[in-house]
Amino acid sequence: MNNVIQVDHLIKQYKKSQKAAVDDISFNVREGEFFAFLGPNGAGKTTTISILTTLLSKTNGTVSIAGYDLDKEAKKIRYNTGIIFQNPSLDLELTAEENIRLHVSIYGTYRFRPFYGMMPKAYKQRIEELAEIVGLQESLFKNLKTFSGGMKRKLEIIRSLMHNPKILFLDEPTQGLDAASRHSLWEYLNRVRTEENITIFLTTHYLEEAEGADRICIINNGKIAMSGTPGQLKERLIQKYMYVDATDQNTLKTELCRLGAAFMETGQGLKVAYKDKTPQKLLSGLDIPLTKLEIHQPSIEEAYLDLIKEGSVLS
Amino acid sequence: MTLTLGREINALFAIASREIMRLIKSPGAMITNMIFPMFFLGIMGGSLSQNLGGNIGYNFLQFVMVGMIVFNMFMGATSGMTSLIAERDLNLTQELFVSPISRYTIILGKMIGTSFASLTSLIGVLLIALLMQIPLGGMQIVRLLLVIPVFCLVGASLGILFIGLVQDSKVAQMGALLICMPQMFLAGTIIPISNSTGIIAFLAKIMPLTYLTDLARGFFYWGKPEYHSVVIYNPAINIIASIAFFAFFTVMGTILFTRNERNK
Repeated sequence: MNNVIQVDHLIKQYKKSQKAAVDDISFNVREGEFFAFLGPNGAGKTTTISILTTLLSKTNGTVSIAGYDLDKEAKKIRYNTGIIFQNPSLDLELTAEENIRLHVSIYGTYRFRPFYGMMPKAYKQRIEELAEIVGLQESLFKNLKTFSGGMKRKLEIIRSLMHNPKILFLDEPTQGLDAASRHSLWEYLNRVRTEENITIFLTTHYLEEAEGADRICIINNGKIAMSGTPGQLKERLIQKYMYVDATDQNTLKTELCRLGAAFMETGQGLKVAYKDKTPQKLLSGLDIPLTKLEIHQPSIEEAYLDLIKEGSVLS
Repeated sequence: MTLTLGREINALFAIASREIMRLIKSPGAMITNMIFPMFFLGIMGGSLSQNLGGNIGYNFLQFVMVGMIVFNMFMGATSGMTSLIAERDLNLTQELFVSPISRYTIILGKMIGTSFASLTSLIGVLLIALLMQIPLGGMQIVRLLLVIPVFCLVGASLGILFIGLVQDSKVAQMGALLICMPQMFLAGTIIPISNSTGIIAFLAKIMPLTYLTDLARGFFYWGKPEYHSVVIYNPAINIIASIAFFAFFTVMGTILFTRNERNK
């Protein structure tokens, strides 16, 4: 599969800042992929997406989107991308349909007409088709002031897809939405992705949202902390361990060495890492009676939080 | 090439139409636009006419009416452009700036849209003129209406230059008043400036509203006996100055505004 997004050594340092917001990051996104850019607030996600969508200038590095160079062919990149911003960028004075009509006219997809009735049949069909996918067909001609946060997000999905983009950028699209709206938004996005066959680039600080992606890239303090498939990340992130102790700790250490188990002395006893599903095999190899046994299997969320915390301490 | 130009024109038309659609949906804004000139022409113009305009050799209220038409178009368009800063704060401009069209198309579309919106204040001026029985002069007012787009576009271009220099929406709103109001007094909008000297005359010469007001009066009083009493410069000079101001403000303003948006 071809890379539709190629980022090499990207750096962004804001004018009034001493530290780079994005610090020499490189990654790629393949065609048709659902790629999640995961990180805590202030990690550099929005800065990165703003550069990729041509809204913000970069300090250094090279970026190619849909085969076009960001420095030389920004306009072509804009034609091939759709964006759902972190905060809705809708004109609340207009109706949902009027917002969409202005969008398609600006993108040159259809000629602008002052009234919906005067717009071409293809436009009407497309808008109805997408409104049906996200369940907004009843509200297309209503004023946006009456829309809930979830409805505005659905409208932004329709708007961003009207010009048939190859890549859809989503900057924390579920921010401010309740759990039900978040769930339905993802249902719609997955449906749209399947039906429209587009690449999705998502920034989020919700791990559960990123888990649905084909690949995840974790960014922290402007640097890429880890990347891979959700399964690979789980494997690398989650370290299973147990605390064990015995009256004769030296014998316990000797037995652990014999079994080839790595351990570390702590105030809570010996911290022993294990890789199997359960520590049963390791425990059955020990002859010495244990005075302490505490098994820890952190969730992916706990492991992610540990990684982020570790990153912030290191920086 | 033709396809690209067609796309840009289509986008320009859409952006301008958006401003008009917004205005139509905001009757409050339309009424405010109409009331503002009523105060200036009705109260200030009326008072000045009664107390100072007795023996100047022409209808002073008619002189003020022409100035007020120019000023209202000019200021309406300047203020309209400064709303781009507030729209940026509301995340409305993001949608425009990620679109595949020229930054000049975005700015020009916004200029044309705000110019149309400022036309509502013209209704206010004409209404108060009729109420105060100020002679509109038949073809004189028609000639003036023909050059109205010039006043709007120069005002809008000044607005874009201003927001290219200012980043804060509150400063931008206040600033629009600050850059327009002194021009109203110094550029001959309501007070004749043919006898201005020194720094006052210098300031008048560097203000775009001076040339726009004089251009308007040149068209309005064309062929009339009072022409030489009210018009200062040759209309050709006024047209050249207006085009120069528009081109300079638009290019500089667009460069500064878009650079500020991207280079943070």
